Amino acid sequence: MRRFNLNLWLGGVLTLLVITGAVFAGYLTSLDPVFDANLMHAEEAPNGQFWFGTDEQGRDVYTRVLYGAQISLTVGIVSQIINSIIGLSLGISAAYWGGWWDDFVNGLTNVMLAIPSLIFALAIMAVLGPGLPSLLIALGLTNWSWTCRIARSSTLSLKGQGYVQAAQTLGYSDIRIMATQLLPNMVGPILVISTLGIGSAVLAEAALSFLGLGIRPPFPSWGSMLTGARELIVVAPWAAVFPGLAIFITVLGFNLLGDGLRDYLDPHMRTRQ
Amino acid sequence: MLKTLRLSALLLAATSVMALAQDVTPQSGGTLNFVAPYGSSFGTMDIHSSPSTQDEFPAKAIHRSLYQWNSTDGKPELELATEVKASEDRMTYTFSLRQGVTFHDGRPFTADDLIYSYERIAKPSNAFPGARYFQDVAGIEEYKSGAAEHISGLKKIDDNTLEITYTVPTNPGYSLMNTNAAIYPAGAGEDPTFIQHPIGLGPFKFVENIPGSKVVVEKFDKFYKEGQPYLDKINVVLLGDASARDVAFRNKEIDTSILGPTQYVAYQADPELSKGILEVAEVYTRHVGFDTKKPPFDKKEVREAFAHAINTDLIIDKLVKNKAYRATGWLPISSPSYDPAAVPVTYDVELAKKLLADAGYPDGIDVAITATQNESWGLTIVEAIIPMLKDAGIRATAVPVEASVLAEVVPKGDFQAFMWSNLSGPDDYEVLKCFYSKTPQSVCNYENFSNSEFDKLFEAAGKEADQTKKNDLMRQANNILQAEAPSWFFNYNKAVMAYQPWVHGLQANATELAIQNYEDIWIDDTAPDSRK
Amino acid sequence: MLRFTMRRLLQMIPTIIAVALLIFVIFSVVPGSFASSLMADGKTASDPELLARLNEQFGLDKPVYIRAWEYLSGLAHFDLGTSFRTREPVLDVINDRIWASLKLSIAAMVFAIVIGVPLGFIAALRPGSVLDSITMIGAVSGLSMPQFWLGLLLMYFFALVLGWLPSFGYGGGDLKYLILPAITLGVTPLALLARTTRAGVLEITNEDFIRTAHSKGMSNSRVIRWHLMRNVMVLVVTTIGLQFGSMMGQAVVIEKLFSWPGIGSLLIDSVSIRDIPVVQGTILVIVLWFLLINTFVDIIYAAIDPRIKQT
Repeated sequence: MRRFNLNLWLGGVLTLLVITGAVFAGYLTSLDPVFDANLMHAEEAPNGQFWFGTDEQGRDVYTRVLYGAQISLTVGIVSQIINSIIGLSLGISAAYWGGWWDDFVNGLTNVMLAIPSLIFALAIMAVLGPGLPSLLIALGLTNWSWTCRIARSSTLSLKGQGYVQAAQTLGYSDIRIMATQLLPNMVGPILVISTLGIGSAVLAEAALSFLGLGIRPPFPSWGSMLTGARELIVVAPWAAVFPGLAIFITVLGFNLLGDGLRDYLDPHMRTRQ
Repeated sequence: MLKTLRLSALLLAATSVMALAQDVTPQSGGTLNFVAPYGSSFGTMDIHSSPSTQDEFPAKAIHRSLYQWNSTDGKPELELATEVKASEDRMTYTFSLRQGVTFHDGRPFTADDLIYSYERIAKPSNAFPGARYFQDVAGIEEYKSGAAEHISGLKKIDDNTLEITYTVPTNPGYSLMNTNAAIYPAGAGEDPTFIQHPIGLGPFKFVENIPGSKVVVEKFDKFYKEGQPYLDKINVVLLGDASARDVAFRNKEIDTSILGPTQYVAYQADPELSKGILEVAEVYTRHVGFDTKKPPFDKKEVREAFAHAINTDLIIDKLVKNKAYRATGWLPISSPSYDPAAVPVTYDVELAKKLLADAGYPDGIDVAITATQNESWGLTIVEAIIPMLKDAGIRATAVPVEASVLAEVVPKGDFQAFMWSNLSGPDDYEVLKCFYSKTPQSVCNYENFSNSEFDKLFEAAGKEADQTKKNDLMRQANNILQAEAPSWFFNYNKAVMAYQPWVHGLQANATELAIQNYEDIWIDDTAPDSRK
Repeated sequence: MLRFTMRRLLQMIPTIIAVALLIFVIFSVVPGSFASSLMADGKTASDPELLARLNEQFGLDKPVYIRAWEYLSGLAHFDLGTSFRTREPVLDVINDRIWASLKLSIAAMVFAIVIGVPLGFIAALRPGSVLDSITMIGAVSGLSMPQFWLGLLLMYFFALVLGWLPSFGYGGGDLKYLILPAITLGVTPLALLARTTRAGVLEITNEDFIRTAHSKGMSNSRVIRWHLMRNVMVLVVTTIGLQFGSMMGQAVVIEKLFSWPGIGSLLIDSVSIRDIPVVQGTILVIVLWFLLINTFVDIIYAAIDPRIKQT
């Protein structure tokens, strides 16, 4: 019998909470995150009208946190999908074909591991300029090396298995074997690492915003809200506290979910991690 | 309302000057912890190579230029010379150099040092930003092409006399007062150790540079002004972050601080801190510029509509926290050509809509505003005007760029509208040149402005020798700018410096408040022991 | 052993060359230039002539492949080029900053070890207990916070509210200036160390040699002291090494927040003014540091466990 998986449950609840906020933002607030700005209400503390207070532009922080969830989650999930696609296709093909391609992918992975991903993303953002598409590209291109490594080692161990060899003798094309025989067998670990990756992408977005290379204002992402509120830490701390909490809850949720999934998929790991 | 504001500002400036003047006998001795607020490092100790204000903080202590800005009179005045004779055509200037002036290493200052320094600045292979100060000096083309070894327009009459000849009528003070036109000892720039250990004519000697932390300078005993400098030592401390500076100032770790809008409000409200606030209307104009050659901003009505759609006073009040003066035209309040009668554009959404319709855009327009991350003249302001513009049918979006990119795309004309803070003084004529139709966009006519009436007035001002008449012509030209609205003129910066109660002798420098003539500053007995 | 070390060091070379080329390519297409950054404050009007001269002086007017070649051949002689801004060798510029970075990294690491390792031990003593759950969720929390937000909160409480510590800056090297940035930077490795220590202890207590030791009649405390400690230490030291290696890269945001004069803030400043030689140089130093520490960890590992050398 499985023991109660606290990580999975807690992570699941937090993640669900954030996703609900993002999807139903329009129903959870009647205000607009950009155009409902009234400078007469600037820097108001949390009250009955503005639950999380207002920022320096007189916008409702609660509304912006909700809409910010849409952008931050988009950044996290889409960039992680890009990472997974790159990591999986490179990792599986490298192990399956071997030879110079394997060496090349290995070398590339080492290079990617050696450059801190934030610095790499920073460089890409500087080239492409701030904005959501650039963010997705920058974060999608810089964090695939672990996925690639896992895909490669899984493929190496699966390659010798009977059903893969059977597929080969049946004359299946390489691509088909990779997609139908190898890929489904590594879904578990990849799911775990992707969940953790979403969390780090949300954090990376915040860091890039802080360095002035985030999304386009006035649209709210949590990172840009935090950065904007930095100067207000004394006069209007709520403007920084709530988006920060939102990031914290989201990343915590995805991290716990990732850990929980690992325990769930590999019960032997449970006591170890 | 605005007039009272301006009046009170002027009064305030006047009282602070008076307060400074009332300080009786300056005291000698002590250490000053002076803040360099624009970044977390100094770029270089070779001030000739740097245009940045940040690098001026140590350089201003160590070096001297031929002219110096006089904050009280609001104009450049002779510093390293005692007299200058200008020819009738204002093209030849003869300087009688100050006597008994020595460099920190004891070498006497002569005309050779001036010529050496100016030729070094103008030397093409050095690519120094100050080269433009000499673009109109006679013989510069031969020097640049390598045909001549020296600039013929810089002539040494004797050790104490220098003659500068220009090819057009010029007022040399505005360019030669710059810190990056400082005088080095002849030949020093080629000595590699000089940059590590600079020597100059300034009131303080270089002691040490702790990168990322501070530059230390100490009193130069043989400084040419009797009894000055008063201070024994200055620590020029790097403190880029505003909130950090706030804490350090309140803890009395630093003696001066430059305030942002949020702190400005807090310091004014504090009974103690409010006693040590120095404000000045700086010569920067914050604006959103339009490319007047491209639709939809080729239509004057559209540009006017943009300005009418924005509640400028509200933004200045709530977001900028009154750390700015509402702008009318381009020239700022401190300019002698500023028109006190000019009335700022009204906030009138209906009028804005009508103007748009008149211009052929009844359904409104879409506009992308290129801006950097800056709270006073960047995305923070753009964020505030986007909802306002929307009410008038102007659908604006922000194009965030880094500062270096803004300075690249705007001169290339690669924008629809841009937000920037640009120098608008103290040399009115040079500043207005940026709207002269013959000035290309790549230089500083970013709005591609072209107006025959403006051109006529500007040309006339250039030929006018009488300063009052010249100012009048420039005032008219500036009023045309306001009427033609190549930009939404937002505000003129109000620079605010906080200082500790024991600090005296600070100057209300309108060109850049943070840059001070250190030799005039002194501290009294109430300073903490760490400063004695 | 020496051959192993040499081999690992040589393996770094292609990675470094690839990194250098990659960085070079990215920053040769970046918009904005050092020359344009000089006009960014609106103080000086744009000066096309100066732009052209600066580009000529920095060799930016040459074709990309020639510049790439010059850059790589300079690297082969350990020459990182000349800073556009200070006009000094990049190595000198970096040398001015690297000690502050090392100081911060070491302080953060010490903080992480002193708190993280004992925490992991405590959690592992009773797996599944409330204490264990709290510790581990606390560790995940540490990994879930935007660093600069944590830094801001710390700054707010310890500097502004309590007034105990300076909020920022280097302060000529006083220890009190180091505390807040070091704690902020140390939270991530602390959390990872706590998790690794816990996992290591749990894994090893299940393994055979402990049981063997028990069957030999060694007392429980001696088992823990001798076998457990040594084997957990290997795991912990590896984690410390990896974290220490990546710390300079992680410190970028924190150095910027606390105005700490290290490599990270140098990198950010240099990117914003497009001082490309310094950007390339600092990234190379950060990468080199990572690779060196990793190699060093591998070597230590191989010294402890000779089987590693085969792989």
